[in-house]
Amino acid sequence: MTPAVISLRSGRATARRMASLAAAGRLLRLELKRNAMPYVLPLLAAVFFFDTVRTADGFPPVWTVRASVIGDHMLFEFSAFAGGIAAWAGSRERRRKALDLVASTPRAAWARLSVTLAGTLGWLLLAFLAGVAAIYIPTALQASWGGPPLWPVLAGVAGVIAVTMIGFTCGVAVPGRFTGPLVAIGVLVLYQAGFREALGLTASPASSGTFALLSPAGAVPSVDAGVYHHVAPDVSAVQVMFMGGIAVALLGVLGLAAALRQPAAADSLRSLRALLAGGDDWLLRAVAVVLVAAGVAASWTAYSLAGTARLTATGWQIPALHDAASDRPVPFIPDCTSGPRGFKVCVHPAFSGYLSEVATALDPVAAEIAGLPGAPVRAEQVASTGTWPSGYGPSRTAGNPPVFQYSGEQVGDLFGVFWGIPAGDWPDWRAGFQQGLLDSFLTGPPHPAAAARTGPAPLGAAQQAVEDGLMIAAGSQPPLRIGQRDHPGGQITAAASRFASLPASARHAWLAAHLPALRAGTITAAQIP
Amino acid sequence: MNVDISGVTRRFGRHLAVAGVDLETGPGVFGLLGPNGAGKTTLLRMMATVITPSAGTLRLLGRDPGSYGPRRELRRRLGYLPQNFGYYPGFTVAEFVEYFALLKEMPPARIPAAVTAAVERVDLGGKARAKLRTLSGGMLRRAGIAQAIVNEPELLLLDEPTAGLDPEQRVAFRALLRGLGEQATVVVSTHLVEDVGAACTEVALMDAGKIVFHGTPAELTARGQGARAAGDAPLERGYGAVLAEVRS
Repeated sequence: MTPAVISLRSGRATARRMASLAAAGRLLRLELKRNAMPYVLPLLAAVFFFDTVRTADGFPPVWTVRASVIGDHMLFEFSAFAGGIAAWAGSRERRRKALDLVASTPRAAWARLSVTLAGTLGWLLLAFLAGVAAIYIPTALQASWGGPPLWPVLAGVAGVIAVTMIGFTCGVAVPGRFTGPLVAIGVLVLYQAGFREALGLTASPASSGTFALLSPAGAVPSVDAGVYHHVAPDVSAVQVMFMGGIAVALLGVLGLAAALRQPAAADSLRSLRALLAGGDDWLLRAVAVVLVAAGVAASWTAYSLAGTARLTATGWQIPALHDAASDRPVPFIPDCTSGPRGFKVCVHPAFSGYLSEVATALDPVAAEIAGLPGAPVRAEQVASTGTWPSGYGPSRTAGNPPVFQYSGEQVGDLFGVFWGIPAGDWPDWRAGFQQGLLDSFLTGPPHPAAAARTGPAPLGAAQQAVEDGLMIAAGSQPPLRIGQRDHPGGQITAAASRFASLPASARHAWLAAHLPALRAGTITAAQIP
Repeated sequence: MNVDISGVTRRFGRHLAVAGVDLETGPGVFGLLGPNGAGKTTLLRMMATVITPSAGTLRLLGRDPGSYGPRRELRRRLGYLPQNFGYYPGFTVAEFVEYFALLKEMPPARIPAAVTAAVERVDLGGKARAKLRTLSGGMLRRAGIAQAIVNEPELLLLDEPTAGLDPEQRVAFRALLRGLGEQATVVVSTHLVEDVGAACTEVALMDAGKIVFHGTPAELTARGQGARAAGDAPLERGYGAVLAEVRS
């Protein structure tokens, strides 16, 4: 062959490829233009707004917490719509009785169906990514630290693709006008089951199976996730692998089903065998079989990997996928301020928005005990001492000089500030926070072994009366402690009122003189001035 | 011969729909007549490569549709309008025809002009942008014909193409058929005898899965002369006479 002939053939092949691409592009344009998805978008948008957006708005502007709505809420809504619409699109040829017409055309059934699928998937992914933007853009405007996590988005995209493939394959296999709604309901039930499993996993990891980890749904993560420690992408990676495997396998099934669903195949087993032997191009069938095998292998591998997961203080880790670098703490420079009486308060920069609230709450009670032995010289936010997800761990005073330490949850999670309730509208938040500081001061340093988990010991009657008195003096209403406080007019309440009515200097002097006895429990409420 | 069918049989379970049909035809308009259930649609579906024969051989446009490569080549040169014409109601006429032009793997650069031409030929130019769900039955049928002819097929298979057309449209359609038959082989399955008389150069009559007559419309008309067959027109009497003779 001369170079000129080779060049001519190469040019023709390129032209054929370009023409094929152009034709696929035009088919996709038609499918996008005439897809059913735009008709249901307003309904999906409404559901998305009232559930996902409103839930995200109630979360603190911490990236990991806000991103958790992608798996917990958004994917739930999108899955129902994706499954139903995809089933509707997949059943189109038979539902519209156009099978004979399209079967007489040269384009392979698999290619034809793939373009219809791509049109539906294109709309769904566009809507999904727009939804992610609707969550991430406000978060970017509000968050004071960190950046958008991409793994939840990847897991969400994989979930949408997998559900779309399931719906489309159901539509091709069982065409009918009720297939779409039935698939949508089925997906909802499946997702709910996965959600319950995921919640069961977080509550009782030992008794749960691996299925729950493969579900993108789950509980709201600790606010420390992605703040003090990296969020290991292990579980998200396994979810992407699992759902991606399902999608790839179903794409292969679609390739094989395209041959099986030819009209002749339904006629007899003999026709079926004939179609399998000589239906479409052998290469297409081989590719379809490879895709099914690869998809099943990927999903099975993901399932096996999920079985090796172990729960750590920072969340689930999968040894085979885990990067030790993600165990290192995230470096940060705290944001600090001082209250009107000079008490220094520091928060993690992700919580800068709450700095002034915390300083305002702690400053008056810190002033009441300033200079006394064991009184904190400053307050700082630290990572939760509890093990996720069972508990946050208490606030405590530790170190020399003493420093009051509290976790992100104490800043707002427990008392409503994170969930959109202004601190001023929730007096118990302020009182509870002050109580945390006074508890550890009045009981003294806890035993080192018990400090991490149990925090300060329960207060005695005299300690309780002093704490309540200090809080009343600081302008707060002591919150009710079940089993510890007496009735109004009782001994503790009376002692607290007496103590609060003393001049600040008298309270301070009495505490300076009697603090060791008070901590030791040798003073009674009646002895409080 | 553009159509070369030899001993073709098609079974659906125990039912024998087509029983050993032999047929040869070249360019021109070929009419396939017969009563309901005679096997016309099954024969056409086999010729459209939608279903495979249970026995026998087909060679269409010189190709064996049983093999993947030749079948694909054949389908590029094929136009088909099924009896139960399924359509996508959300598509416009032009989009529907374009969709099938793309499925028929026409060169993309040729498609816009081909779509316009096909839509004009069936007199739907004014409705090109109308959605199919808004069209009448006759217009839908014409949209179906437009998708069948958009690739200028060498073999055009039309199953009951005039069903739903009004008399004026049927006259226009017959003229269209004659024009198409000058270059291609057009096989028209119908039970409307007057369509055959007006447009076809050749005709076959099927009954109970077999071809019981193959000739020209004039020859079919001649079979009715002197016979006591029912029918208002000469061709109808020929049709009736052949069927009566076969069934007696």
